[in-house]
Amino acid sequence: MALLMRTGDLTLDAPAVTPTSRTHAARTVEAVKVYSSGPASVRALDGVSVGFDRGCFTAIMGPSGSGKSTLLHCLAGLDTLTSGRTYVGDVDLGALGDKALTRLRRDRLGFIFQAFNLLPTLTAAENITLPLALAGRRPDPDWYDTVIDVVGLRTRLGHRSAELSGGQQQRVAAARALVSRPEIIFADEPTGSLDSKAGAELLSFMRRAVDVFGQTIVMVTHDPIAASYADRIVFLADGRVVGEMHDPTVARAVDHMKHLGD
Amino acid sequence: MGPLLRGALAHTARLIGTAFAVALAVTLVSGTFVLTDTIDGAFHRAAAPSEGSSDLVVRSTSLFAAQANSLPEREAVPESLLARVTAVPGVHAAWGAIRGYAGLVDRDGSAIAPGGLPSVGSGWAPGDVLESGRAPESPGEVAIDAVTARRNGLVLGDRIRVLFEGTSKEFTIGGFLKAAGDVVAATKAVFDPTTAQQVLGEEGKVDAIPVTASPGVSPEALRMRVNAVLPERYEAVTSAQVAHESEESWTKAVGFLPTALLLFAAVALLVGAFLIFNTFSILVAQRTRELGLLRALGASRAQLTASVLVEALAVGVVGSVVGVLLGFVAAHGLLALLEAIGFELPAASVVFLPRTALAGALCGVLVTIAAAVPAARGATRVSPVRAIGGLADDLGASRRRRLVGGSLAVVLGAGSLGSGLSGGAVSPVVAMAFGVTGIMIGLAVLAPLVARWAARMVGAPLIRVFGEPAFLGRENAMRSPRRTAATAAALMVGIGLVGVVAIVAASMKSSAGRTVQSTLRADFVLASIGITGSSGGVPPAVADRLRSSPAIATVSEIRSGQWGLDGRPQSLLAVDPATVTAMHDVDPQSATAVRNLDDRGVLVRDTTAERYGWTVGDDVSMTFARTGTTRMRLRGTFSTSAVRTDYVISLNAYRANFAQQMDLEVDVALAPGVTPAEGRAEIQKAVVDFPVVQILDRSQVLAAQNAQVDRLLVPVTALLGLSVAIALLGIANTLGLSIHERTRELGLLRAIGMARCQLRSMIRSEAVITACMGSIMGVVVAVFFGWALVTSMRDLGVSELVFPVAQLVGLVALATVAGLLAGVLPARRAASLGILDAIGHDT
Repeated sequence: MALLMRTGDLTLDAPAVTPTSRTHAARTVEAVKVYSSGPASVRALDGVSVGFDRGCFTAIMGPSGSGKSTLLHCLAGLDTLTSGRTYVGDVDLGALGDKALTRLRRDRLGFIFQAFNLLPTLTAAENITLPLALAGRRPDPDWYDTVIDVVGLRTRLGHRSAELSGGQQQRVAAARALVSRPEIIFADEPTGSLDSKAGAELLSFMRRAVDVFGQTIVMVTHDPIAASYADRIVFLADGRVVGEMHDPTVARAVDHMKHLGD
Repeated sequence: MGPLLRGALAHTARLIGTAFAVALAVTLVSGTFVLTDTIDGAFHRAAAPSEGSSDLVVRSTSLFAAQANSLPEREAVPESLLARVTAVPGVHAAWGAIRGYAGLVDRDGSAIAPGGLPSVGSGWAPGDVLESGRAPESPGEVAIDAVTARRNGLVLGDRIRVLFEGTSKEFTIGGFLKAAGDVVAATKAVFDPTTAQQVLGEEGKVDAIPVTASPGVSPEALRMRVNAVLPERYEAVTSAQVAHESEESWTKAVGFLPTALLLFAAVALLVGAFLIFNTFSILVAQRTRELGLLRALGASRAQLTASVLVEALAVGVVGSVVGVLLGFVAAHGLLALLEAIGFELPAASVVFLPRTALAGALCGVLVTIAAAVPAARGATRVSPVRAIGGLADDLGASRRRRLVGGSLAVVLGAGSLGSGLSGGAVSPVVAMAFGVTGIMIGLAVLAPLVARWAARMVGAPLIRVFGEPAFLGRENAMRSPRRTAATAAALMVGIGLVGVVAIVAASMKSSAGRTVQSTLRADFVLASIGITGSSGGVPPAVADRLRSSPAIATVSEIRSGQWGLDGRPQSLLAVDPATVTAMHDVDPQSATAVRNLDDRGVLVRDTTAERYGWTVGDDVSMTFARTGTTRMRLRGTFSTSAVRTDYVISLNAYRANFAQQMDLEVDVALAPGVTPAEGRAEIQKAVVDFPVVQILDRSQVLAAQNAQVDRLLVPVTALLGLSVAIALLGIANTLGLSIHERTRELGLLRAIGMARCQLRSMIRSEAVITACMGSIMGVVVAVFFGWALVTSMRDLGVSELVFPVAQLVGLVALATVAGLLAGVLPARRAASLGILDAIGHDT
């Protein structure tokens, strides 16, 4: 972790193409986010510098209010930093306007939210191809078939979200995130509203996407079991990175979280 | 009640559109009342006897009731009666009053106030009051009303040409009269009594004898005394009675206006009710969870119903108050509208009665509450547990109940409409209004059943052009068919009625055009500008002058008049049997009838003759104001739509039985070899003294007829346009509410890469689809109503059913574009949502 932070410091004013941007799909440099509501202001992110390796499944953990969701939102271009920088590949998100950010999200990022991932008016298939349709593109048929089979949705494609179980809905969202071959998939508590069996299914699918297709995934979770599927866990508390764990297990993650809670 | 009410008030912002719709409808209602009261007030003041005028009037008795828009035609009174009346004890003074047509001509040679109200001339009477100058004393002097003088920049000492029935003459203006006095008139000219008798009446005759009573003699007592000395066929009535009759006749003449305007207001209210119903359904649906929770916590059904109704009451009251205030403004607009279509009203100040505010507000509040009741009941029907879980938008009532109920309403409506149109109903207007309303509501009930399908069809071309956003917009329109259908149905009502008007107008124009083309053989038609009768028509002198011209082969006059059949007023035309068929090429049956018409005969429309059971050779008892009852032999029946009345007599019979001798129209055929230009120049010479006479060739006759249709078409469309505006407001409102409900979806779409412009495009697509659906439904309805209405107007000469395709398509296009505009604001609001706020939004 110490090494990571140092490289982050070093690349602060470096040219766009650096060794780190080749290995990091996304990273933040001294990211600060201050929410001010009235006289009180909250530092949700307090100088976070962290990178996310390509082809790696990273989990971000931390107690409530630790800033993990804010970090994810800023990385994904859904929110803007107060100071510091976020990069997706070589692109500095702070330099992009709304249009470019929208295009970036559409073409280079994928999303899985905790709930309400699907448009109720569309079928599963239409939901999956929605970002491509918005871009005016057609899915690569082979890749589309592969994704559908991997998530096991072949028989549910014509159904609308109201006719799908919670686990199926999240798998549709995962398929949607995957089908446009994004550089990174951001997942915000994707198993938060699922039972353990459906959650396990979704997580194994995400694991497979990383192992088989080399997909980069960044997932926010407070669940040690979910985090144990990741290659690495980044721990956040009070808006700062407070630890890191590679090849985690549930027990170690639980242990670390307990420690954080103190 | 406290927490329930707070829940309601939290949605206040969303109710503004609804309140505005209520306000617009109420505006029309209260505007109509203001207008009606203003008209009543104006006629009341105009008809009221002025100070210093007579207490009694001696006149000849009327032999039949007056037709709606005029006083009964009365025969003149011999001047010799004056002495007899003056001799009655208690009579302070009596004089001969003379009244007739006296049109004024401005300096440019064109007629002043050629349409609308009549131009009246009279002899100087003690009741006349001058504003300045002096009373006319010599044959060359005239006093005119001050308003006309001011409007036309006339000053004392100016020369002015005055048109009479047969002649025109120049006078010097010697005085200006205060207000028009005891008559409702556009212009008034007063001459000295002797001159008046010469130019307006007959030597030795006056139109009436006003009488003033000596001090201490009551008008009623004097009336009995005077009546006792009068010969048969003459009567003395109090001036109050005369004023009352005059006011009544004018009220009758414009009496249909309030009814017509209230019908438009009813349409606006109906459309408003659709919108209110829809808004409250959506609001309640959105609050189902909240209401379910309240139920679970122990709120009673009655409490929940009350909370929704209180909300409706608030909207109704706010909308109504605004509407009543706007109505005052709208009345001025309506007055201008009426003037634009030729209803010139006596100068008047706008009258605002408490009743107007009360009626307008009551309408607005009641309609709002009535429209909210189904929503309020729906709010409490669901079980608390299901409500908390959230409800999918289904079709509400089961499909079958919807199908049966909607069809029933349509069938009942169609039946009522049919009986109204065929004249079978007691009150055709009520039956028709009921029928149209029934059909509209029935269709609105049925619409959700086809809304999905319709949205798919309408949306297909949009998707081809605008791609994914349009696709998403269409899916949104299809997701709650009930909501989309109700929004579209509101537009259907307005567009449907505008379409009907367009179809009827096109059919009328086409029928009139066909009649002119197929029957009119005259090269030129001479007619008076404006509404016939009010400006006296064409003086007979014109026809006489034309006859003496070598350039003209044939001249044929047509006159019109009223007569009584068993005391009921009827209209007739008088023609010259020898020449009329040369000018109007009618069917053989009608032509034969005309050939058989003699000076003691009458022709009757075949359908009318059938109704009365008359056959050729029978005698018809016709009562004329001037000559009393005469038996006229039925010489034939006709069916042509070229004649607008049911009865035709000969010109000679007309001359013998009518006092006023003016031509309604003069048809002219040129001599062989005379070019139209030469002919027009020749005719121009004959009418040079009569600027109220127009010379129309065949295409101008057609144009004049079309202009007459248009003059009604424009204001009617404008009034219906208000309903369309309300419906468009409904689209914006519904969309706004839907967007609120779908905030999270919008956030999701933005998060996964929908650009702001795509989001806007999506919402506008939904608006366009809804508007397009509504306007297409409207046109379908219009085609049906148009067909029904035009078919029933066959007897009125509307023989052809024409669908103005370009206009109807244009209507759909216009409504669609307007729908697009209605979607602009909701779209902008949706696009400005913060993505994270939206995703975290809790509906």
